[in-house]
Amino acid sequence: MRLWTFAARNIARNRRRTLLTLGVVVFGFSAIALAGGFMAQSLDGLAESTIRSGMGHLQIAPPGGFEDHGLEPGAGLEGSDRIAETLRREPGVAEVLPRLEFTGLLSDGRRSVPFLGLGVDPAPEAKWMETPGALEAGRWLESRDERAIVLGVGLARTLGAKGGDGLTLLSTGADGTLNAMDAVVTGIVHLPIKELDDRWLATSLGLADELVGASGRVTRLVVVLEKRRGAEAVASRLESRLRAAGFAVEARPWEALAPFYRQVRLLYLGIFGFMGIVLVVVVLLATANTMMMAATERTREIGTLRALGTRPSLVRGLFLREGVLLAIAGSVLGALLSLLVRVILNHSGLMLPPPPGATRAMPLHVQAYFVAYAAGAIAMLVTLTLAAWLPARRASRIPIVEALTHV
Amino acid sequence: MPILAAEGLTRTYRIGSGTVAALRAVDLALEAGDFVVVQGPSGSGKTTLINLLGLLDRPDAGRVLLDGRPVERMDEEERADLRRDRLGFVFQTFSLVPVLTAAENVAWPMALRGAKELDARRRSLELLERVGLGGRTEVRPDLLSGGERQRVAIARALANEPPVVLADEPTAHLDGEAAESILDLMAALNRERGVAFLVATHDARVVARAKRRLTLRDGRFDSDGPAAAPAPAPAPVRGTGA
Repeated sequence: MRLWTFAARNIARNRRRTLLTLGVVVFGFSAIALAGGFMAQSLDGLAESTIRSGMGHLQIAPPGGFEDHGLEPGAGLEGSDRIAETLRREPGVAEVLPRLEFTGLLSDGRRSVPFLGLGVDPAPEAKWMETPGALEAGRWLESRDERAIVLGVGLARTLGAKGGDGLTLLSTGADGTLNAMDAVVTGIVHLPIKELDDRWLATSLGLADELVGASGRVTRLVVVLEKRRGAEAVASRLESRLRAAGFAVEARPWEALAPFYRQVRLLYLGIFGFMGIVLVVVVLLATANTMMMAATERTREIGTLRALGTRPSLVRGLFLREGVLLAIAGSVLGALLSLLVRVILNHSGLMLPPPPGATRAMPLHVQAYFVAYAAGAIAMLVTLTLAAWLPARRASRIPIVEALTHV
Repeated sequence: MPILAAEGLTRTYRIGSGTVAALRAVDLALEAGDFVVVQGPSGSGKTTLINLLGLLDRPDAGRVLLDGRPVERMDEEERADLRRDRLGFVFQTFSLVPVLTAAENVAWPMALRGAKELDARRRSLELLERVGLGGRTEVRPDLLSGGERQRVAIARALANEPPVVLADEPTAHLDGEAAESILDLMAALNRERGVAFLVATHDARVVARAKRRLTLRDGRFDSDGPAAAPAPAPAPVRGTGA
C-alpha cells in the first residue's frame, strides 16, 4: 500500500467534505489565475501603449542625452543617418525613427505659450506609433507639407488654435540666436498625459532642423523591435555594437525610459499581491477547518495506526500528502475552470474603462498567463500543506491511548 | 529472560480534582509460548496494563522491559519501531482501517517495516488464508462480520512475526461461535508457533484457554499461577500454515 494511495482513499472517504474543500481550492486557484491573467493583459496593454505612444522599444541618444537636463540647443547624434542605417541592418530591428527634440514658444501674435517640440519623419511615425492616429481634428503630418505642425489638444486649446491657423514658433538655435518661423496647424491630437498634452507639438524633421539649426543631427533615434521581450538585452547589444563602430551613443530600453509604467506595474503587483494574500488566507481558513474536522473524525484510526508501529513522522506525512493531493486536484480543476471562464470573458464583449495612461476604453481580455497559473498552484500547494499541518501535528502528537478511546 | 516484563508498574489517572490509581506496582513476566489471561472487573486496570506493556502509554513509576531492554527513555519513534517489530495487538473493537481491504490492513505493518509491496501482499494473503479468510482478502472491513474482522486483526497482529501478541477483550463483540473460533485460532498460533499471548478479558471462555491466569483487582494482582484447569484442546485451524 503506497502512502499516496492511502492518502487518496482517505480524501475520498467523505465525498461531500472533500468536494467542499476542493471547491474552495478551485475557487482560490481560479481567482489567482484569472486575476493574474487580467493583470498581465492590462500591463501588456499598457506596455504596448507606452511603446506605441512614441517611446519605441529602445532609444539611442548621444552621451548625456537621457539625463534630466537634456542636451544643449543644437546638440545631437553625430552621424545619425549612418547610425540609423547600422541599426536597420541589425536582426530584430523593425524600424528606426529619427527624432529631433526642441523647446521654445508658440505664439499666435497675442499670446506665447511654451512648448515641447518633436521633429519627426511623418510617414514611418504614422505607421509605427499611435499618436498620429489619436487625431481630434485635422490630419497628421505628411512629407509634402511645408511648415506644418500638429498640436496637442491642450496646447491648441490654450491658444484657441484650430486646423489651418497660422502660428509662430520661437526657439533658440545652436548658435544661441533666437529663431522664429511661421507654421500652419494641420491637425490636433490627443495625448494621454495632460501635462504633455498641454505642451506637445510635432513637426517635420526639416522644419525642426531649420528652426534650431541642428545641421541634420537628431537628438534621438527611436528603435522599433519585432518583439518587445528582451528589449533590455537588445539595447545593451546595440549600444556595444554602435560604440565598437565608433559612434558615441547611449541606448536605453523602453522600461528604463518609462517610470510611469514601472509605477503602474508596482501598483498592480501590490494590489494583486494583497488580493492574493487575502485569497490564500480565506482558502487556508476554510480548508484548515474541514481538514481538522476530517482528522478529528479519524482519531481512533490514527490511534490504531500508531499502535501498530506507524511512526509519528509518518502519520504527519500521511496528512500532509492528503493536503498535497487536494492542492494538486484543486489546481488542475481550477486551471480547467480558469481556461473556460477566460474563453467566456474574452468573448463577452465587455468593455473596461481606460487603464492608467490610456485614453480609450478597452475590451475585457484575460490572458492565459502561465506565471499566474504557476503562482496559483504554488499558493494552493503551500496553503493546503499549511492547512494539513495542524491536523497532522495533532495526529502525530495525540497520546495513543487517548486516540484509541476517542469517541 | 522474559520477552516482556513489568517491574513495579504504576499508573495513576487524574480525574477532575482527584486521582485514580489504575495500576499499583504491578510485576509481570511473559515468556515465549505463554498464554496468560488477565481477568478482573471493569476498572481493575486490565486495559491499563495492556497499554503499558504494549508501549502505548508510559507508567508513572516502574518500568517495562522488552527483550530485557527498558523502554521508558525511548522516544516515540523508537517505541513505534518496537511496537511494529516485536508486538502484535488485537483490540476489542477490531480497529481495522476502513479504507484498506483485509489484505491491505494485514500488509500495513509489513509496509511500515519496509517490506516490498509484492512480498507484503503475498504474506498478507498467506496470513489471511491461515486465519480462514482466504476468500475475503479484497473485502473492506465494513463488509466483514465481527468475527471476520477480528480474524483480520489477528492476521495483522502476526504480520511481522512478533514474539508477543497483546489482546484486549478480543471476544467482547463476538457471538459465541465467532468467539470460540477466534480462541481456537489464538491457541493454535500459541501452540504451533510459540507466540506468547497476553489477553485481558472478562470472558470465561477465554479464561478457560489460559495456561496462566492472573486476576487484577484495584490495580493489583490477586493471584498468580498456572491456570487451575488445563485448557480444552483447540479446534484445528483452517487453512495452511503461515
